[in-house]
Amino acid sequence: MYILQAVDIHKKFDSLKVLKGVSLQVEKGQVIAIIGPSGSGKSTFLRCLNYLETIDHGEITIEGEIMARNGPDGFAIYSPEKKINQIRRKMGMVFQNFNLFPHKSVLENLMLAPMLVKQTDKAAAEDKARQLLEKVGLSQKSNNYPFELSGGQQQRVAIARALTMEPGIMCFDEPTSALDPELTGEVLQVMKDLASEHMTMIVVTHEIGFAREVADRVIFMDEGLIVEEGTAEEVIVNPHHERTRAFLSKVLMAR
Amino acid sequence: MDYILMLLPSMLKGLTVTLKLFFLTLMLALPLGILMGMARISKFKPLKWFMEFYVWLFRGTPLLLQLLFMYFGLMTVGILLERQFAAYLAFVLNYSAYLAEIFRSGIQSIDRGQYEAADVLGLNRFQTMKNIVLPQVFKRVLPPIGNEVINLVKDTALIYVLAISELSRVARTHVMRDDTFVPFIIAAIFYLIMTGTVQQFFKWLESRFDYYR
Repeated sequence: MYILQAVDIHKKFDSLKVLKGVSLQVEKGQVIAIIGPSGSGKSTFLRCLNYLETIDHGEITIEGEIMARNGPDGFAIYSPEKKINQIRRKMGMVFQNFNLFPHKSVLENLMLAPMLVKQTDKAAAEDKARQLLEKVGLSQKSNNYPFELSGGQQQRVAIARALTMEPGIMCFDEPTSALDPELTGEVLQVMKDLASEHMTMIVVTHEIGFAREVADRVIFMDEGLIVEEGTAEEVIVNPHHERTRAFLSKVLMAR
Repeated sequence: MDYILMLLPSMLKGLTVTLKLFFLTLMLALPLGILMGMARISKFKPLKWFMEFYVWLFRGTPLLLQLLFMYFGLMTVGILLERQFAAYLAFVLNYSAYLAEIFRSGIQSIDRGQYEAADVLGLNRFQTMKNIVLPQVFKRVLPPIGNEVINLVKDTALIYVLAISELSRVARTHVMRDDTFVPFIIAAIFYLIMTGTVQQFFKWLESRFDYYR
């Protein structure tokens, strides 16, 4: 059984078709890397899985629970809000721009959601927060505020914050794109650690090296469609499609 | 000097009238302004339109006219408010409109990513507003609100049109009776002390929010 299943997802913004029938099946513990040029719809697709955007057509099922499916008229119908909120609880999300809460200390950033959403008591929330900060190597920064941290450190805090809710699937939306090149390594390392613990991960990224090294499956998207998918070996090393080759040569050239 | 001492009791009495209007307006208009600011960007269109109309009406006409309307205007249609009450009503309604605009722009200045981060963590709309958005809004709106509060100190002088003896009206009465400019100078000193206090208070408040950027 798949932990996440998206079938034939269509999405448009006004008249602009961003997704033209994208499907994805993810097994538990898999790491999926989605690559592609900007404007290919890869971030929008990830945001649809998380209900940050709604789809026009298609089906999304997460851990066997239906979030959306097609109605008789061919338009997607979403499950009731309450059920969606339950389903979304299974997904963690890491953003390109971290989106930490600037007025909260690092520790408070991690404690807020468990206390408000899961009614975890303060001591337990703090324990868990410290444990996760240790995991991302930022124990010393627990009392600092986000603006006092480097971009890489902020993103590691954001990853720890998503983990506080114990998601079954972690989604990453270009997690290193806003970082200076010398800071991407520490974030990718945390993600590699997660992958080695068999966290199910869907990563939209420009880091071809990371995709190649960590991903069980690589998906190349362009113009709202999946052009090619397979193992890293198949898609990155020996791509079949001309568009994949063109994209990879551009991206790798830039290194 | 004796003259000043003789003036003081009545001027202090005027001052308390001024201060009462000042604090009452603040205490009611601040929470109202927050609610109206949120209503102004509500997804419920009729509420949004009503707030837009409200802000247009109360920001778009002189406070002086609003004072006259609340008392004399309503009187002509048979609603007789107490003069004090009419003054409070006009001030609260007027200042709520200004503060609503400040809070609205403050709320809208918060990055969408903050809402999204709270959303994916499972916070509901109320929790997001209370814990994430409004605390950041308060820091951003402090300078413009400081401006409004200083305006409020001086606007209190307008209630003289309802023949309420606030500070400046008391001063004017003395000036006309005693043929001296001294009462005005004393009134000015009182206003300066009040606005100076507000200014220092907001400086302190802003420094309290300095711990983050």
